[in-house]
Amino acid sequence: MAGIVCRTASRIISSQASCSSSVVAVRHSHWFTSMLSLKTSVPLRAEPKKRKKVDPRRELMVKERLKKKLKKLEKVPPEMIPIEDFIKSAKGFDETRVREAPDLCFEESERRALLLKEWSRFKRSQHQTEMHEIQEALEAQRQALEELKLESEELYKAAVSPDTDIFPFQHDGPCYTPPLTNYEAPEGKYNDITRVYTQ
Amino acid sequence: MAAPFTRVYRPFWRIITTTKSNRGVRNVSYTSQQWSAQNVKTAGAASPWALHGAVCVQRLPVVTQDRSPIEEEFMELMQKMEFERSLLADHELKLLDDAALMSRKQEGDYDSDEEDDYRDKDIVTAQDLEDIWEQKLKDFQPALRSQGNDQKDASSSERCLADSLILLVKKDVGSQKLWLLPQIQWQMGETLRQTAERALASLPGADLKATFLGNAPCGFYKYKYPKDIQKEGSVGAKVFFFKAVLSSHKHLPLEKNSFAWVKKDELQDFLKPEYLKQVRRFIMAL
Repeated sequence: MAGIVCRTASRIISSQASCSSSVVAVRHSHWFTSMLSLKTSVPLRAEPKKRKKVDPRRELMVKERLKKKLKKLEKVPPEMIPIEDFIKSAKGFDETRVREAPDLCFEESERRALLLKEWSRFKRSQHQTEMHEIQEALEAQRQALEELKLESEELYKAAVSPDTDIFPFQHDGPCYTPPLTNYEAPEGKYNDITRVYTQ
Repeated sequence: MAAPFTRVYRPFWRIITTTKSNRGVRNVSYTSQQWSAQNVKTAGAASPWALHGAVCVQRLPVVTQDRSPIEEEFMELMQKMEFERSLLADHELKLLDDAALMSRKQEGDYDSDEEDDYRDKDIVTAQDLEDIWEQKLKDFQPALRSQGNDQKDASSSERCLADSLILLVKKDVGSQKLWLLPQIQWQMGETLRQTAERALASLPGADLKATFLGNAPCGFYKYKYPKDIQKEGSVGAKVFFFKAVLSSHKHLPLEKNSFAWVKKDELQDFLKPEYLKQVRRFIMAL
């Protein structure tokens, strides 16, 4: 290996010495390559080299500008979820749906007014009885607790302490008809059209 | 000083009993509670009242009450007024359109191609829909609101579905048999609410599940024993009532002569007047 290198080096030097005069004359012209340099064609050499520093910086600048634009867009506050119940539907303002106003005779309007007054009196007496019953019950409880206190302090304290097990309390309220025994409700198919909003 | 029955010395404001008193009257038992000096109860000054815990079990109404005449009238008026002030619904508009279409079809020069929206003859009209719905309603048979056994069987819990019912038991008190709310004597070491729960559980033949509404009693009744029974140290008894709501619906039928489910206005037929006076205060029949 070393011998080959020496031989090529000696050959180059001898050749260089022989054609040195001609080589000097053409060295400064780009059309004639020197024997020493690589055999490169002209177009390959004429290509502009990639400038490594400025382009990455340019790309970074472009990316930063895009990011800033995105941030500006994102800064807009998110759209509020509308409350369906508060939106007045267009059907309410439809004029084709207006019902004709009824024609009330004098007796009918009188009867209605008197019935409303009767109802307010009825409701007032109902409320009074309810309040009275509640007061009675509270008074009975208060007296019971007083008696219990006279009896035994410990039992009184146990009675007055809060009950943690009562909640959650569930009870099915009264319906119009009592529940049927062994009744299987028919399965109903339905399309759920509730709108789901995401933020 | 510590009470005479404690063996171990404790500061006088803290009493811990290790022995149960054998005296017939109830004695207070504590589990290391702090006491102020004035409230110390010693074995000697025991109360002469025997304590009982009782339970007022209510079967709440299953069915809504019937309306009174004025309520009926007012309900009708409200429905009429609401109807008069309302707008036409989609269904009603459809009905009107169908009616108009029918009247146009009946005319001589009817051309179905002139309709705005050409409709097939197979489409169901709004009137047909109404008929279908009415038919479906008729096919369903709901249970009757009143079973009809209101007056006869006082021991069934299915009577008077529109009112809340209270459970009464017939018990031997001294020499008499009286109708009472289920009660049982208090034992040491339990709270009065536990006594009431025990009273409910110990009813013979009844498997009732109830939710007790709180730790506090809702009412009380005290009575003195007749003179011949009064021993020294026991003057009478105090009964503390606790409210409970019946949770399960279906029960085994109870014995007719010893159990009764009664409304508030029927209570006077069963209970003694003094007892009734106290019990009525906390039972609300709204």
